[in-house]
Amino acid sequence: MTTEDSGWAGTIHRLWASVAAIGSREELSDLVLPPLLETPGAVGVWGLRHTTGAAITVYRSAGLPLAGEAQPIALALAAGETKHDWLEDHGVRHVVVTRFDGTGDVGGTMMVLLDETGDPRLAAARLGQVADVTREAIRRLAAHRAEQAQQTRDALLAEASLQMDAVLDRAQTMRRVARMAVPAIAEGCLVYLRDDAGLELRSAVHIDMRRLDALLADERIAARLTGLATDAVGGRPGMRAVPGAGIVDVQVLRARGRTSGVLIFMFDRDRGDVPPAPFLRDLALRAALALDNGELYEQRRREVVTMQQHLLPRRLPSADGLEFAASYTVGDRVMEVGGDFYDVVVRADGVVAALIGDVCGRGVDAAALTGMSRHTLGALLHEGLSPARALRRLNESLRREGSWRFLTAGIALLRPDAGGFAVQWMSCGHPAPLILRHGAPAEAGRGGGTPIGVLPQLRIGRSRIRLGAGDALVMYTDGLTESRDAQGLMFEDAALPQVLERLRDVPPETLVRELSAAAAGFGTSGADDIAVLAIGVSP
Amino acid sequence: MTASILVVEDSPEDVEAIERAISRSHPRLGLEFLGSGAEVLPRLTAPGAELPSIMLLDLNMPGEGGLAVIRRVRADATLNSIRIVVFTSSEDQAEADACYAAGADSYLYKPVNFALFQTVLRQTVDYWGNVARIVVPPPGDSSAQT
Repeated sequence: MTTEDSGWAGTIHRLWASVAAIGSREELSDLVLPPLLETPGAVGVWGLRHTTGAAITVYRSAGLPLAGEAQPIALALAAGETKHDWLEDHGVRHVVVTRFDGTGDVGGTMMVLLDETGDPRLAAARLGQVADVTREAIRRLAAHRAEQAQQTRDALLAEASLQMDAVLDRAQTMRRVARMAVPAIAEGCLVYLRDDAGLELRSAVHIDMRRLDALLADERIAARLTGLATDAVGGRPGMRAVPGAGIVDVQVLRARGRTSGVLIFMFDRDRGDVPPAPFLRDLALRAALALDNGELYEQRRREVVTMQQHLLPRRLPSADGLEFAASYTVGDRVMEVGGDFYDVVVRADGVVAALIGDVCGRGVDAAALTGMSRHTLGALLHEGLSPARALRRLNESLRREGSWRFLTAGIALLRPDAGGFAVQWMSCGHPAPLILRHGAPAEAGRGGGTPIGVLPQLRIGRSRIRLGAGDALVMYTDGLTESRDAQGLMFEDAALPQVLERLRDVPPETLVRELSAAAAGFGTSGADDIAVLAIGVSP
Repeated sequence: MTASILVVEDSPEDVEAIERAISRSHPRLGLEFLGSGAEVLPRLTAPGAELPSIMLLDLNMPGEGGLAVIRRVRADATLNSIRIVVFTSSEDQAEADACYAAGADSYLYKPVNFALFQTVLRQTVDYWGNVARIVVPPPGDSSAQT
C-alpha cells in the first residue's frame, strides 16, 4: 500500500466514524467534499442537493467555486453531460459524477473535477467510497428527521388537545387549532365552519399572511378551496394540488356524528415533510371534538338562559306613584339555572306586593322550586292573602313535600300613605333591603326570620318602613353583597357604600343596572347570581 | 452579506431555547441576540451594519415593545429586506392583526414543548430562507470551500 493509499484509507475511516455525529445536511457537505479534493489532479468537488421535483436547492463546493455561471453547468453534468467550454477554460479535463436518491427525502449529486493529471478511475473509486458514506449519513439523517417529526406530531397532538380542551368558545378553538398547526405541520391552515347557509371560512392562518391574503383574494383559488371543502363534506377528503396554492390536505371536522366544518392544511414544503394522512385525520378529529364540545356548551347555555327567563316575570306591572325596575345577573356557573327570583303583584285594592327570593342550590331541582315558589307567593298575594300567610303556606307546602331544599324570601307590601307609601317588610332569612332616601345616604332595613322549608313553624322578621317622594327601596339577593374580589373582600364591605353614594337619587332603572354591574365587576370567579328589585316612589 | 437571524427577546430562557433550536437545525446560520426593542434600530442602522435576513421578535418586552419595533423598522425603507417574524405565546387576534398591519411577515405561536418549539423555528427559517437563499453563503464564504 502506498503512503497515498494509506492516507486515503485513514480519511475514509474518519468519515465513517463521523457519520453518527452528523446532525444536518450542511454538516455533511463540510465533511465529505473537502477530502475528495485531496484526490490527485482534483481541482474541484461539487455537491448538489435536489428536491423531489428535481430542482436544485443547495449548491456546495470545495476547490473550484460552484457559483454563478458554474451552477447551470453543474446541473448539465448532473444530467449526464461530460464536456463544457467553461470547464475547459478552468482546466477541467475529466468529470466523475455519482448520484444518490433517498426514499422520501431529497437526493443529491456529487462530482469530482479533474485536471489533465487526474486519474478518472481513481477519482471514481474514491467518489464511490465517499458516496457510500454519504448515503449512510443521509439514511441516518432521514431516520433522525423522521423520529423528530414523529416527536413533533406527538407533541402537537398533546398540546393541541390540551389547548383546545381548555376553551369552550368555538371561535377561540378555531383560532387555536390553526395557530398550532402553522408552521409546525403546515404552512397554512384554513378553518371552514358549517352553518345553515353552508360552509364559511372562519379562521385562516399562514406563515406568510400576505401571501394567504393574496391567494384568498384570487376568486378562482378561493372558489377552488371552498369547492374542495364542500367536496370533503360530501365524502371526498384528502390531499390535492391547487394551482397557485400548492398542495392542500382537506379534512372534515366530524365528531359524534355531527359535521361542524372542514380543515384545510396548506403545504409549501417538500413532499417528504408533509405529515402522514392518519395524523392529519387525528388532529382534525380532536379539533372537531373540541368544536362540538363548544357547540354543545353553547346550546346548553342558551337553554339555561331561556329557562332562567321563564322563571322571572316577563315584565313588571305599573302602579300609581311607584316605579319598578329589576335586573338578574347570571353568575359564573351559567350551565345551571340559578334559584333567584322576584316579582311584583298589584292587588285589586291597589296595594302592591314586591317579592324576592333565593332558593338554595342550582340546577333543575332548584329551578322547579324557584318557579313554584314565585308563582305560589305571587298567586296568594294577588288573591289578597297577607304576606305572612302566603309565606307560611309556602313553608307548609315545602315541608309537606319533604323537600330538603329551602329558600330565603322577602316581601314588601306597599300601601299609599299621605303622599308616600307605608311599607310592611317581611323577611324569611333574606338579606335586609336598602332604603335610599331622597338626598340622603343609603340606610339598611332589617332582615330576620328563618328560611322557608327548614322549620315546621316559620319565623318571620317584620319591620315597617315609610317611603316618601323620591325615596327608593332596593331588594336583592345575597349574590350582590357577597360578591368577592381576588383578595376575598366582599362587595358589601369594600365597595357598596361608595357605589350607593354615587347612585344617590338616580331613577330605579339606573339604580339596578349600575348596582348589579358594579357588584358583578367587583367579583371574581365563582360569583353567584344577582337579583335586584328596586321600587321608587315617584318624586 | 452573511445570512443571519437577529433575535429580539428579553427572556433568558427563551434566548437559550431559540439558540439551542436553531443551532441544531441550521448550524451555519449566524445568530445574534438583542435583549430589548430599543437596541434594534441602532443595531440595524449603524454605519456598515450587516442586515439580518430574519428578525425573530418577542412582543412583550419591557420598554419598547415588539409592535413599536415593527413600526420603526418598517418605517425605514433600507430595512425592507428583513423578514419580521413575531414569535409569541399571546393568542390575541387583535394583536396579530396589529402586527400584520404594522408590517410583520409572520405571527407565530411559541409552543411550550421543545420538540414543537424547534420544529416551528426550523420551518420558519426554511420557509423564509428558502434554504438556498439564506443557508447557503455566497461564494468564498462557504466553510466547505478549501
